[in-house]
Amino acid sequence: MLDTYGSTRELRFLDKLKDFNWLLIALIAAIASIGFAMLYSVAGGTFEPRASRQMILFGIGLCALIVVALVDLRVWMRLAYPAYAASLLLLVVVELFGKIGMGAERWVDLYVFQLQPSELMKITLILAMARYLHSLTLDEVSRPLTLIPPLAMIGLPVILVLMQPNLGTATILGAVGASLLFVAGLSWKWILPAVGAVAAAIPVGWQFLLPYQKERVYTFLDPERDPLGAGYNILQSKIAIGSGGVFGKGYMLGSQSQLNFLPEKHTDFIFTTLGEEFGLLGAVTLLLLYLAVLTIGMMIAYSSRSHFGRLLAFGICVNFVLYILINVSMVMGVIPVVGIPLPLVSYGGTAMLTVLFGFGLLMCVHLHRNVDVPRHSGAFW
Amino acid sequence: MVQRPSFQHDGGAGAVTHKRIILAGVLFVAAFTVIAGRMIQLMGFEGEQDVRRNFAAPAPSAMAARADIVDRHGRQLATDLSVFTLYADAANVWDAGETVRALLGIFPELDGPALEARIASGRGRILIKRDLSPRQQAEVHALGMPGLSFDTEMRRVYPNGSAAAHVLGYVGTDHHGLAGIELSQDAVLGASAEPLALAIDLRVQHVLDDELAKSMAEFQAIGAAGIVMDVHSGEVVAMSSLPVFDPNNIGASPPEARFNSATLGVFEMGSTFKAFNTAMALDSGLIKIDDRFDARHPIPFGRFQIRDFHPQARWLTVSEIFEHSSNIGSARMAMVLGVDHQRQFLSSLGLLEPTRLEIPENGRPLAPANWSELSMMTISYGHGMSVSPLHTAAAISAMVNGGFYVDPTILRREPGSVLPRRRVISDETSAEMRRLMRLVVEQGTGSKADVEGYPVGGKTGTAEKPSNGGYARKALISSFVGVFPADAPEYLVFVMLDEPQPTPETFGYATAGWTAAPTTSHIVARIGPLLGIAPRRAPRDDDEHADAQGTGVAAMGEER
Repeated sequence: MLDTYGSTRELRFLDKLKDFNWLLIALIAAIASIGFAMLYSVAGGTFEPRASRQMILFGIGLCALIVVALVDLRVWMRLAYPAYAASLLLLVVVELFGKIGMGAERWVDLYVFQLQPSELMKITLILAMARYLHSLTLDEVSRPLTLIPPLAMIGLPVILVLMQPNLGTATILGAVGASLLFVAGLSWKWILPAVGAVAAAIPVGWQFLLPYQKERVYTFLDPERDPLGAGYNILQSKIAIGSGGVFGKGYMLGSQSQLNFLPEKHTDFIFTTLGEEFGLLGAVTLLLLYLAVLTIGMMIAYSSRSHFGRLLAFGICVNFVLYILINVSMVMGVIPVVGIPLPLVSYGGTAMLTVLFGFGLLMCVHLHRNVDVPRHSGAFW
Repeated sequence: MVQRPSFQHDGGAGAVTHKRIILAGVLFVAAFTVIAGRMIQLMGFEGEQDVRRNFAAPAPSAMAARADIVDRHGRQLATDLSVFTLYADAANVWDAGETVRALLGIFPELDGPALEARIASGRGRILIKRDLSPRQQAEVHALGMPGLSFDTEMRRVYPNGSAAAHVLGYVGTDHHGLAGIELSQDAVLGASAEPLALAIDLRVQHVLDDELAKSMAEFQAIGAAGIVMDVHSGEVVAMSSLPVFDPNNIGASPPEARFNSATLGVFEMGSTFKAFNTAMALDSGLIKIDDRFDARHPIPFGRFQIRDFHPQARWLTVSEIFEHSSNIGSARMAMVLGVDHQRQFLSSLGLLEPTRLEIPENGRPLAPANWSELSMMTISYGHGMSVSPLHTAAAISAMVNGGFYVDPTILRREPGSVLPRRRVISDETSAEMRRLMRLVVEQGTGSKADVEGYPVGGKTGTAEKPSNGGYARKALISSFVGVFPADAPEYLVFVMLDEPQPTPETFGYATAGWTAAPTTSHIVARIGPLLGIAPRRAPRDDDEHADAQGTGVAAMGEER
């Protein structure tokens, strides 16, 4: 096996660049391009103001991806805990000083752009969990005492995000954290009761939902109970998707989308426009592209020699897949409406940048797949 | 190709992780397959049948005419009008710039540059403007521009503007009802050519709207609601909720204006509930009108105390408890009968379920899930439980009409038709309630509700608005429910003001006796003659009598 990390700095840099999984980059770019095209369409055939901004953001994100990927995996590992602590702090800051957007405190105004710390939290939670689980043997993973820190790592941000309130992101955070415990080899003796407990907790949790959250579930069960109010989005969305048929109505010819029947059509509901204008064919194509990206991601996780790399890559994949499944299910009326964007396609800066940052880490695992990472790797910094 | 990597020393975690990554991968693929399956169902098959039929708007040409809605005397409340929608078929437009400039001459409100850009793209059928009048259509025709086309659409028009807007509701751009009668009777209106007759009397509706608006302005209230009901037939002759919206231009109204506070809003009614408490007590046979209750001291209950607003601090008869609106006395009366009796009685008055009015906006009352002793005591004087104004109107009607609860209706009932009614109190109790309610106006808190020639009976209700788990001292819901003529009531007038402010004329009071009661008086004076009720000869001065009648006549003249 070629020793990639032996010689001079320049060589290492060039080698890494050569070793990039360019297919992954191409797939990501293809998906993002679908997003540009849809944003161009819903704006009535103009690049202003969203499509052009989205392109710039994608460009910045792609640069970030490359930089993130080139950094040594061990550096990311050392950064894991501090980064986690920092995002937790940001979440607290949001709770205290956050700006209220659409009734929910989810943003910190950084003057340059607005940051959603809960998005950052998803990445740093994966990093911190991967680092912690990396240091455990298989037997240790299932010991009650060693389970306390990772459960706290998941629980703290979940509680903070729930307080915002943002049920969708809290669910994703919980699910991503749980999936890392699962893939790290948590004993079935723990998994099965935990799944049972979550199922049993749903009726109890229902009591704690806010009125608007309950409203969404009612609306999901029967969207026509309030066709102009809470049920409006989902009904219009289903009309649009259903009216697309197999081949769609043609680019920029979707009447539901073009005639402004659809709210949030450039953000969370963009999949609807795709379905209306490009039909089943367009929608399935996008899903296949996502599946291809995911397959590469899972291969990267599988091929990593270091446990940290495996867990990190897997966590990124889970995060990505949850975004897609939740968003697409939502716009098709399969699950209640939650504010989760379609990754790489929906308009929005933070989501675009964090998704690409995540892919940067994935690429980083790929480039460092043969690197050994010691079980106990030094200080917390 | 995936290479199985050589594990670094990791205590066995690697092998398990590999298995689980594959397991997770299988799960992901399964989830994607399910989603794709649903998508095929929605777009491939349902797309042809179910979804399109259920959800998609009908094509404009297929847009069916809707029947008119009229008031009880056949006056038009809602009707259809043909209007035109202007489109540009971008591919057929020769010169986007010239076309848009010409259109701007007719419709200066259009966004010229944006429209030009869209037409210049050469793609699609672009909606330019809805609701063109025939004249505007002719003007566009006269431009002779290629690529412009029209669709004929039906437009719903409400010639009386916002009158009875919350009852009528409104329709969407697809010409289907979205609220009120337009929604609840959507199928009927779409299928029939016969106009649908409501119980509403447009003249009475105008009086109610007018007087409520005046009071709202006078007392700077943030909202108001009013109902005029036929106490025997349960017909809603007029109903208002302010602020109101214009159903002709629904987009311009804020959501709070679309909220029907008369039927969908539920409020603590305050002392009005003492009418129910008193009737319950008298009808039980366990309590007689002259029985006395100890109202000397507030009743302590846990950390609460039930106290009186104007403490008489003595033993009061049932009659005095009602007249002086004693909370302590009311609570003691309820205690004699108990929790279950109270719940059953209020339930028989329809106060625990949404009313069955023929509009979708029927609010569900808020009653305690755990109906404790304390709940019973507070509910006896109208706190700890919320009902809509319509609930109150229907239940008070039963108190005075001889003891029958009639399901309220917004549709006209033919005279002599069988009423959906049930006996809730005896005729004797009802007579007693009429007498007590008259006493409140003659010498109690409701004196400002009286009208010369139209003796009014009634009850005031003032409740502090709930706020942060307690009550807001300065934010009141002041209401008055009046019936007239008091000895043999025909009609009920309910007036509610949301957060009325005191004025110099009310000596700093914003309670119901000073705000809602005089409003009721103004309404009764104007609608009495309209409803064909002969004024009683005033026992006193003939001049004053003539004066009162004069007001009524003037009002009639005004409304015509």
